[in-house]
Amino acid sequence: MRSMISAERRRTLSLATLTVVLVALTTLAGCGPVKVIVDGDFPPPLITPLPVTLGLWYGDDFSKHEFFDEAKGRKESSWIVTTGAAQVEMWNSLLTGMFTKVVHLKNKPGPDQNPTAVDAVLIPHVEELQYAIPAHTSIKVYEIWMRYSFELVTPDGEPIAQWTMTSYGKTPTAFLQSDQEAVNLAAVMALRDAGANFANHFTDVPGVQEWLQAKGVVSERATR
Amino acid sequence: MNFHSLRKIVLCVGISLTSACVTSTVNEMVFNEPIEGIGDSSVVILGRRHASDYETEPDFVACVSDHIAAGDKSITMIGELEFLNALYPWFEPRTAPLRPVDIERMLEREVVAEKLKALKLEYIIWLDGSTVRSGGSGSMACSLGGCFGFGTWSHDADYEATIWDFTDQVTVGHVNATTSGQSYMPAVIIPIPIIAPVQGTACDGIGEQLLEFLSSEY
Repeated sequence: MRSMISAERRRTLSLATLTVVLVALTTLAGCGPVKVIVDGDFPPPLITPLPVTLGLWYGDDFSKHEFFDEAKGRKESSWIVTTGAAQVEMWNSLLTGMFTKVVHLKNKPGPDQNPTAVDAVLIPHVEELQYAIPAHTSIKVYEIWMRYSFELVTPDGEPIAQWTMTSYGKTPTAFLQSDQEAVNLAAVMALRDAGANFANHFTDVPGVQEWLQAKGVVSERATR
Repeated sequence: MNFHSLRKIVLCVGISLTSACVTSTVNEMVFNEPIEGIGDSSVVILGRRHASDYETEPDFVACVSDHIAAGDKSITMIGELEFLNALYPWFEPRTAPLRPVDIERMLEREVVAEKLKALKLEYIIWLDGSTVRSGGSGSMACSLGGCFGFGTWSHDADYEATIWDFTDQVTVGHVNATTSGQSYMPAVIIPIPIIAPVQGTACDGIGEQLLEFLSSEY
């Protein structure tokens, strides 16, 4: 009889413990950071390709880029915005359309690497990402701002040019649209803007201009 | 009175009760209307996205485009995103032409000129503006027994359409729509939203004027 009561009590206790754990987990789940994995479609550019074979190397800081913003108060949420996969998708699409040939390198160019059959290697970095949502600004738009830095180096790692570039994307608030969806859209706009900025100004970068002239490449912009 | 008549009356009363009033003003100024229509040429409506504190809503752009396409099926409307993707990156906020004369510079790029020729583009219509919530009052309390209270708020919409003749590279018209409306939400156990269709009215106003400009049937 005693063992029966104790078994029943144990069952009740474990059920109560399970309920408490489930309630606690549900409550804590609501307190976690807001996660956005940026996802979008990036069209190829409508550009006459430059007759250059470009090597492309993405570091982990770029291909796995993630932005974390910790909540500053109890009313705010922490945010994790993962842009890495979308960055790779956008830049692959853009650069493949901008140059006659693009070669993806497995290793960072350097003197210890075997020379690769490319004219130069582009190494992009995301230096900074900032975001704003209507709760921060009281303006009914979601915004993403990014600062990139680029290195253009020879196949054995000698610098040709180094420059920075910014991009910006915003999207309006919309009925039945969550903060995550809106931030994703703003990030996609910022990535498209980055592509537009790069395509429009690549041949204007002083070091790049000199390098292209030395190679005898005349860009469409230079012919105007 | 038969059942069908009664149903119609109930439907009419229902619609009247669930729609709030909207005030709308539409102004237009157009030149060189295509009297015989635009033939097999196409039109694209694009949202201007240069302002820092607002953004022309993509669904408003789609609404105006759909209004024209539904009004005259012979007009070929190109979807905004389809056009932006086909011409990427030349119509992004950073690179889009701000004046009709900028088109000439854009056409110096052979691939861009070829693409636009293939699209048979005749008119680019830029839409600029937004709908904003301009105020609200009232209070509502909800519990397990339901909601009680009353809330009201207003929306203002202000949009301008600028029509560019792509072939002649000139502005051939402006259409402006300003609408405002008050929405209500009384709640006795169940909240009943009575929404003022402010943006929809602005869409119909601009869409109708653009349809008159582009269509030979209007």
